[in-house]
Amino acid sequence: MTFTRPVLKYLLVIILFTIAMQNRAHAGGFPLRPGRLLIQPSVSYFFADKEWDSTGVKKPFPANGKFNSVLISMYAEYGISRRFSVVALVPYTTNNFTQTGFSQSYSGLTDLETGIKYYLANINYIYYFSLQGTAITPMYKNTVGQPNLGYGEEGAELKLSFAGSGTLFNRNYYFDVDNGVRQYFGDQGPIQDRYNATFGLTLDKQFKDQLSVSFGGFYTASDNKRFNLENPLVNKNFEFKQVSLSYGHSFTRTFSVFLTGGQFIAGRNTGVGTSGSLALLYRLGN
Amino acid sequence: MSVKNILKYISAIICVLAITGITPASSQDKDDSDGSKNAKEVSTTLIPGSKTGTFEEKARFTYVVNNPTGNEQTGKVSYQAFTMKGEKLQGQTMPVKIGKNSSGRYDFEIPEPKAGFYKVDFMVNVTDYDDTTRRAFGIRPDELRSNYAKPADFDEFWDNAKKELASVPPNFKVTYMPDSTRDNRKVYLFEMKSLDNLTIRGYLTVPKVGGKNKKFAVLLGLPGYQVGLPPMFGTDNDLAIITLNVRGQGNSRDVIHTQRDEYIFYHIDDKNKYVMRGVIMDCVRAVDFIFSRPELKHDQIIVSGGSMGGFLAIATAAVDHRVALCSAQNPILSDINNLDGEVDWPLIDIRKYISARPALSFSKVLHNLDYFDTKNFATMIKCPTLLGMGLLDPIVPPNNAYVDYNNLSGKKHLIIFRDLAHEVGYPYKAYEGRWMRDTFGLF
Repeated sequence: MTFTRPVLKYLLVIILFTIAMQNRAHAGGFPLRPGRLLIQPSVSYFFADKEWDSTGVKKPFPANGKFNSVLISMYAEYGISRRFSVVALVPYTTNNFTQTGFSQSYSGLTDLETGIKYYLANINYIYYFSLQGTAITPMYKNTVGQPNLGYGEEGAELKLSFAGSGTLFNRNYYFDVDNGVRQYFGDQGPIQDRYNATFGLTLDKQFKDQLSVSFGGFYTASDNKRFNLENPLVNKNFEFKQVSLSYGHSFTRTFSVFLTGGQFIAGRNTGVGTSGSLALLYRLGN
Repeated sequence: MSVKNILKYISAIICVLAITGITPASSQDKDDSDGSKNAKEVSTTLIPGSKTGTFEEKARFTYVVNNPTGNEQTGKVSYQAFTMKGEKLQGQTMPVKIGKNSSGRYDFEIPEPKAGFYKVDFMVNVTDYDDTTRRAFGIRPDELRSNYAKPADFDEFWDNAKKELASVPPNFKVTYMPDSTRDNRKVYLFEMKSLDNLTIRGYLTVPKVGGKNKKFAVLLGLPGYQVGLPPMFGTDNDLAIITLNVRGQGNSRDVIHTQRDEYIFYHIDDKNKYVMRGVIMDCVRAVDFIFSRPELKHDQIIVSGGSMGGFLAIATAAVDHRVALCSAQNPILSDINNLDGEVDWPLIDIRKYISARPALSFSKVLHNLDYFDTKNFATMIKCPTLLGMGLLDPIVPPNNAYVDYNNLSGKKHLIIFRDLAHEVGYPYKAYEGRWMRDTFGLF
């Protein structure tokens, strides 16, 4: 190559990145900016009138049974440093079960989740790994003869997350894969494997609209293999897989709304659930 | 690809303060060496055996000759290796016969016992076609070290320069430029007094987001040779951007306003008066300016630039440890004593200057330039540093740039563009942005 003077007129090119996926529903496996507070109130509706039995055979609930649940929750995550963030989830639920000649309804605060997330590592500043430890603390007391809001047991979860973002077909995408192992400390556990994989795509260059699909599920093991139809929340030995579709819209830099619909697609010892949710996401602070 | 096309390609997500001279990153896996798109002509493709063009023992290349014509092609393919100064090393020739509508694939291994970078020409001479493809490769570049020592009083020299700068009151003056404000960014012209009491100017653009207490990380953009930098815009709401016009450049030419060629040797006779001493102090004063601004994060400063801007980025990060990140692309004045015989510029202009001054010797100038050698500054850097280089760079040869890299003792990352010259490709700038955001916690 021949030297020419104009080559010396070196350009100053600076790429000013905005993080494409700042309007994710959660930080997920991505680290959270220090000083930033995510607050996400949400309401979701869950419905089931069919079940998968202990062998995975799908059938209607007996006696025209129907279960529905409305869950109101408040999720918060705060970035305390580049590596650490703290998370909390406060859920309140109302459960209803009806069948021919029987109905019951009960509600209350359920299991409080408080945790700390550590940003483990990255690959090329594109793919991120994080580890989260969570304590589960029941905010209720189970009473014999009364419907239970949960296991009534303390527990702990360790979750590994892998997340990344990039561009695909001229769109920005992100993914987030989580796997958490949760142990409840009661006599009969259970021990649970909770997994989820999400892939999201922005629909516009301003990152205002996004669509995401998720696949996730629970695998729960316990010596207690009983299936409680009236109150699926206390089942200890079951599994399910579900898919969901979510649309998110950012109204401002600090406020987004997410609409999600989900469907259980396979399971054992559990109801065939259909769900929908509305979540508001506020990004406060830095 | 033209400048326009490149800008179009990246304009959706980047802000470009484009001057001139960019060419795109070539594919790192495949190279259409002759650039021919005519399906009925013989063409060649050179495929290096490593993404970075560097190897442990032997360089490996595959040379593919495509013959879409209806004629059989007979002749030879060959390579010839050279030192970076152009001295011939080994070569190899293979006779070839390529049938009509087919291609030939020829693997070459080039053993070079000595660590370093080498030039290599691949040639095809067949019935209907002759062509040469020029590339470079490296052998164990991590072993490369300069043959020339850093002056013993190098650090002291720069400590003294900083002391001298500290004695000049900065008299920062900031002027809001409402007419220039766009992209949701406020634009300010700032000026300040620097070494020798010269007035230095630049621009600060700040996103119009957040309340009064919002603080921004700062990118200090440093200029290329004789380039005037305008304000820089963009959609990044987390970053304030300073573009600095050092003395003798852009809108800081009140006192020093040389001809373009003369700038590099302005007062080169005396290392205490050489223009680059003041220029580097202008950059330090810009860091002082950042520290004078309450809306800027003083612990989140990245310096970035290419060519002379790359040199200034390394020099500034070396002499001013308030800089948190350093990003330097193709930094000039790298291992200066080893430039002789490898490059034309800047030595050609410096020699021209010396030739008119019998009292000044080339060795004296080289001695003065030791105090401005990028590889010497590199030894002083404490912050994480990103370095970009092109293997075909005719101004900053890879041997020289790699010595800079090897002299960095802290956290460092190198991105090599094996098919680029005095430039870096988009992957560098993309990496720079991600790295900066991650380090500053701007997730």
